[in-house]
Formats: sequence, C-alpha cells, structure tokens
Amino acid sequence: MGQCWGPSPWAVRRRLSLLPAALVATVLTPAAAWAHADLHPGGGFVAGFLHPISGLDHVVAMVAVGLWGAVLGPPALWLLPLAFPPVMALGGLLALLGMPLPGVEVGIALSGLVMGVMVLFELRPPLWLAALIVATFAVFHGHAHGAELPADAHPLLYSLAFVIATGLLHLVGILLGEARRWPGGRLLVRLAGAGVALVGLWFLERALQ
Amino acid sequence: MSGPGPTATLWSHRGSLPLAHLVPTGLGPWGDGMARLVLQPLDLLLLVALVLLAVQSGRPWLDRLALVLPLSWLVGGLGGLVVGMELPMALPCAALVTAVGVLVTLGPALRLGERFLFGGTAVLPFLFGLVAGSSLAGHGGALPALLGEAVAIAVVTALLLMALDPPHPRWLALGLRVVGSWIAASGLLMLGWLSRQPL
Repeated sequence: MGQCWGPSPWAVRRRLSLLPAALVATVLTPAAAWAHADLHPGGGFVAGFLHPISGLDHVVAMVAVGLWGAVLGPPALWLLPLAFPPVMALGGLLALLGMPLPGVEVGIALSGLVMGVMVLFELRPPLWLAALIVATFAVFHGHAHGAELPADAHPLLYSLAFVIATGLLHLVGILLGEARRWPGGRLLVRLAGAGVALVGLWFLERALQ
Repeated sequence: MSGPGPTATLWSHRGSLPLAHLVPTGLGPWGDGMARLVLQPLDLLLLVALVLLAVQSGRPWLDRLALVLPLSWLVGGLGGLVVGMELPMALPCAALVTAVGVLVTLGPALRLGERFLFGGTAVLPFLFGLVAGSSLAGHGGALPALLGEAVAIAVVTALLLMALDPPHPRWLALGLRVVGSWIAASGLLMLGWLSRQPL
C-alpha cells in the first residue's frame, strides 16, 4: 500500500551523478578524431550497413532466403546464405562494370514473391534447384546494390558493411525459421512466408506499372 | 616527351585510390597506423581470411602464425618505405583478398597443400605490407605508423588464433565459411568499384 511506482530516489540520484560525467566526457572527446568524418561523403561503414535494410523489397527477400533455408533444412540451411553474398557481389560487379541487366526491379520483386510462396507452401525442390533460384535472385539484388553504390563512398568499408547487413538479414530469417521446432512455430513461419509473398506481390505490381 | 606513358599514369592513379594513406586520429602517427588497419581494412580482411584459412586446415604450425604473419607484413612494410613511391597494387590486392575469401568459403574440403598454405600466409602479408609501406612513405611519421599497424596486426592475429583454436564445433566451422563468403563478396565489390572509378 502506498507503493511508489516511480524510480527510487537512489536510482534518480545515480542517474543525476552520471549526467555530469557524461557531459565532461562529451566535452573532452577529441574533436580531431571526428575531423575527417567527411572524407567519404558517399558513405562508409554505417551507410553501407544501412543500405540493404533501408529497402523493404530487399529486406523481405533476404529474410526469406534464411526462412526458406530453415524450411529446407541442412545442408540448404547454411548453403543458401553461404552462396548468396558472393553471387550477389557478382551481380554488383556487373553493375559496377556498366553491364546492364534488364528487369532488375521485377527480378527483385519476384524474389520476394517466389521465396515467400516457397516458405508459405513449404516447397522443397532439389538442392541444386533451390540454390539456382536463390543465386538468380541474388544477381538481381546485387546489380541493384552495385548500381546504387555511391561513387564517393569508401569502397571497402561500404561493401563490407552491406554484405554483413545482408548476412545478418539471412540470419534473422534462419532464426525465425527455427521457430518451426516449437508448437505453433510452423504456422508462424508459413505466415511469415505469406507476408513476404504479399510484399513481393506489391512490389511486382509497382515494378510492372 | 619524357616521363611515364599514359597507361602507366592511369594505372598508378587507379591503384592509389582505395589504399589511401593515413587518417589523422589525433593520437599521433602510432595511433594513426593502428587505426589504418580498421579505416583502410584491406589488410584486415586479408589477415582475417588467412587466419581462417589456416585454422580451417588445423595445421600444427598454427601457433607460429601469430609471429609469421605480422612479421612478414612488417618486413614488407619496411621494404615499401624504402621503395618510397606508392605501388599501384589496389586491383591485384583486392583480387587476392577475394581469392583467399573464396578458399575460406569452399572450406577444408579443398585440402590445400602444406607448402601452399604456409607460403601464402608468409608471402601475401609481405606483399600487402609492401603496398602499405609504399603508401605511407610520403607521410611524416611513416615508420611509427607502420609499426603501429604491425602491432595492431599482431594483436588481431593473436586474438583470432586464440579464439578460433581448432577443433571447431560444426556451427563455428560453418560460421568461418560464412565469414569467408562475406570477405569474397566484399573483395568482388571492391574490384568492381576500382574498375568504375573515373580516372
């Protein structure tokens, strides 16, 4: 009774005592360390990391790769995410070399739709076919990324970061897919596949307009 | 007309772009050199890829790698300082990182020969050190910067070797291959970027 639900006086005092320390640390941070932040205005690690996760069409497709891998089980579980980044980079290389790829946006939208349907209906084609499907879509995604790579970005930091972000999106898909081990998890994964397919369909409609 | 031909000039200009020099950190040349490993991470990628390749193979000379790799890089770097002009090696270096990344991705199934592996872990750091040293040669405090980066390389190598001591559980073995595929992908993109740069 009469219980106080706010932070305890001790916690408030502790927070207040941290404030001056944080202010002092901020003021004393050497400005020289940040003076060259704009060496690559096109972006470095953070820009590269944010690039793949800033487009919903890319995000759902990357997550779907992991989800589908989980549905297929080993060895596809690790083979698809293992093969995706280098093949995607090959697509990026084509774009950077100035080689056009027709229907990139359609291909990206189709990747979400097709892999979403695969997860929704738990389709299990032979491994070579699954790898071929994923690799084909990886080329489209890579081409789009390569074409959008800012000319003044730090090339290696940017590339490394967006490859890592892509890999982490696959990991999210795999972890979601592992929910199939639990009761109700299978339904959850199939629903996630349906969501991916719907997003893919929406982007396909936009790409075909 | 004297001087290098247009092809040589273009090639050297292209080669110097992504391996550019030192970023002042405010910590002096020693700290700038250490930071270079992270801010210009081609050397870092090579070192990670070589360590992964070595630990995947589980060779008995693994503990010697902690000494061989940084030392070889440092000797190359000192050679680069002596050369004194920036070597246009960005494309070959990116291609080599890509190739080592591909080898890591393919995993221990490749069964690479002992000499090939040990030679690679000694020769490639030397080459990369040579390029790094040559790019630092024009800077004031190039030697402490080179030493700083060599120390950073030694620390990272030792930490990686300690953390990845074989035998590996299955998930970690797969994780190493995934990291290899990321390195290969980054190297490929770097190659594309290098070819795209306006000269």
